[in-house]
Amino acid sequence: MNLTNFINEMLGFWSEWLRPSAGLPTVLWSLLLAAAAVSGHVVQRYLGFPKVVGYSMVGAVFGFAGFEGAIWPLRGISLFLLELGAAVVLFEAGGRLPLRWFRHNPMVLVQSLLEATLTYFGVLWMLRLLGLPDPVANPIALMAIVASPAVLSRVIMDTRASGPVTERAMTLATLNTFYALALGYAQAGLIERAPQTLLQKLYPVAVVLGLSFVIGGILALALRMALRFMSPTSENTSILLLALIAAGAALTAHFGGSAPLAALVGGVLLKTLNPKPWAWQRQLGTAASLLTMLMFVLVSMVAAQADWTLPVASVVLAVIGIRLFAKIAGVAIANPGSGASWNQAFWVGCAMSPLSSIALLIASNFTTASPLLGTMITQVALPSILLMEVLGAVLATVAIHAVGESSVPWAPQAFSTTEDTQR
Amino acid sequence: MQLEPFNRSEALSLGVELELQLVNTHDYDLAPYAEDMLRLMAQTPLPGSVVPEMTSSMIEISTDICHSAEDVIRQLTPIREALIRNADKLNIAVVGGGTHAFQQWHERRIYDKPRFRELSELYGYLSKQFTIFGQHVHIGCPDADAALLMLHRMSRYIPHFIALSASSPFVQGQDTQFDSARLNSVFAFPLSGRAPFTLSWKEFEAYFERMTRTGVVRSMKDFYWDIRPKPEFGTIEIRVFDTPLTVERAAALAGYVQSLAAWFLQEQPFEPTEDDYLVYTYNRFQACRFGLDAVYVDPATGQHMPLRDHILMTMTQLEWHSEALNATRALGELRTSVEANRNDARWLREKQGKERLLAEVVRQAALRFRGGS
Repeated sequence: MNLTNFINEMLGFWSEWLRPSAGLPTVLWSLLLAAAAVSGHVVQRYLGFPKVVGYSMVGAVFGFAGFEGAIWPLRGISLFLLELGAAVVLFEAGGRLPLRWFRHNPMVLVQSLLEATLTYFGVLWMLRLLGLPDPVANPIALMAIVASPAVLSRVIMDTRASGPVTERAMTLATLNTFYALALGYAQAGLIERAPQTLLQKLYPVAVVLGLSFVIGGILALALRMALRFMSPTSENTSILLLALIAAGAALTAHFGGSAPLAALVGGVLLKTLNPKPWAWQRQLGTAASLLTMLMFVLVSMVAAQADWTLPVASVVLAVIGIRLFAKIAGVAIANPGSGASWNQAFWVGCAMSPLSSIALLIASNFTTASPLLGTMITQVALPSILLMEVLGAVLATVAIHAVGESSVPWAPQAFSTTEDTQR
Repeated sequence: MQLEPFNRSEALSLGVELELQLVNTHDYDLAPYAEDMLRLMAQTPLPGSVVPEMTSSMIEISTDICHSAEDVIRQLTPIREALIRNADKLNIAVVGGGTHAFQQWHERRIYDKPRFRELSELYGYLSKQFTIFGQHVHIGCPDADAALLMLHRMSRYIPHFIALSASSPFVQGQDTQFDSARLNSVFAFPLSGRAPFTLSWKEFEAYFERMTRTGVVRSMKDFYWDIRPKPEFGTIEIRVFDTPLTVERAAALAGYVQSLAAWFLQEQPFEPTEDDYLVYTYNRFQACRFGLDAVYVDPATGQHMPLRDHILMTMTQLEWHSEALNATRALGELRTSVEANRNDARWLREKQGKERLLAEVVRQAALRFRGGS
């Protein structure tokens, strides 16, 4: 009896036990996440890079290989998962946004506005110089404002970092995400229309902000009420939080708002209503980690679907270069009087280099709104996102170690023999 | 190596040092902001000084030479205001207390200074566990022999100081059942505990020389005693206090020490003996463990009595001296708290009982340091 006959006989024998299952895509996605988990671990343990790099590498490899799990532009469940992942990160980031800090140290707000403005105009200028039309250059410049809080928070977790540079980079990243989301979602709605008056231009921004504030406010109030009788350290409170963010994300997207922006606003409002320290992070634990890992894999998988050519690569590198310069310059120019040293200002600028899910969501919105322009935006946006998800994570890690704010040495853990006790 | 000569200082002059916690305003864990805080504090003209401590989430503030508890609070108040202003600028908070309630020692970083690096190499993990916060009170002595006499007399009141200042019931997220768990960390150091019993500076110099010959000791800084002479200042330094939650209580404690010292100098109420130390460790343990509820064994008579009663008794004995030293208000505040059986450890436990979240207890302690509650 040959092998084929044997397999057929076996399959025939098994066929009566076969039941309808979740299907091949579920198996593939599960294996993909398993590979990402292993890769993240290996990359950190043996190379000393942040885990995010491992996740992104797996996503990129699958993306390059043509895995059809996430088709650009994103829609359906993959879009929702990405929005949910970003919303969870931004809710937490919103809760860390210290509004009272800006009252005591307005220069931090000036740093934020300056670095965001310089980034926008710097990238816009560079793209115009390279011959890209305004309708394409403008969305890419908006997207470039974002310094991914998702990547930054993962790097902070990996390096167990705390300190002035870490906190300031996280605050500035959250603020510029707020600007970019509000402007990006609003402008995406206008891409095929040409608003004439200032009112017409501002109206969509007001709609996106208004919707996000309403949903974010409801989210914050619901959680505030829950916290009156539920402990912030309870697992059930964390599940309630995740469930409410998911519901909020679905609702906001349905009404045409920005789910991550609503979550960010919700986080800020909840912290204002309930100034007690948050204990979510530890409780959210593995569920949130899985969600963010999925987000990184998804982002890099989608971003890898871009067409890589030499001219595109030069534009991407130019965008990345000018963006990094603008961020460092913006933070540094407004540094005097902000309480930070020049050295710290430089590394804050560097720590804000990552690009990831939020930029992808903005790009996705433009692409959905205008498939024609979207193709041109995608050509530059996707490679930039992929490159800066990986390089940005590494640069943020370098920054945190350079200012001595990591609690773990940067030698790959597998080869580290002694604990570093010195700064 | 020779011990430096005991410098002259004005008898009963005072100096206070306070080690303080720097915490972030997100989860209220310790935050490594010492360098930034020192940079900002250097821009403000203030009395005393602000210096780094062993790990990068601690700073130490100190007064100039003071003459009364009122003087101490007059100096500590502008320092506190500057600390709060700069902490707000950095988005952190400053907190008192002998320990941080839930920090993990292994996450601490040694402050980048040669002496701290040296200590870290010698003591290993103990140096990170030394992220504890104390108040040191210097008291001026007329001469070197008087300083040793004062030191050993003061030793009888170590339990009083511990119970009054106790503010470290929580360590690494757990209630230790001690009112002052901080001193258990100090005990791990080889040269901690009590100073050798000698009432003559000549003999003390000989002891110091013998110790330096062994290579174990290079300077007085290497002794982590509960009370040690400080020859360069012409003082003795009492080091058993936990940092209180407010600068007002820190000043009141300084006033209590100064009143005791005045009583010793002016009335010579008793002669210290080596036998005083028979019950020293037991009394010290009782005060750390039970605070104001401790039992006090009188070293002279062997009589057991509630420490609270003994503290109140000394306060009555000191009334005349505290009036002369303008410390009546300071002692009054302490007396009120002892009568109500309250110290900072109890305040912290009550907050935790209500909030069930140590991070929230730290946040409220930060508000208390600002004068908010």
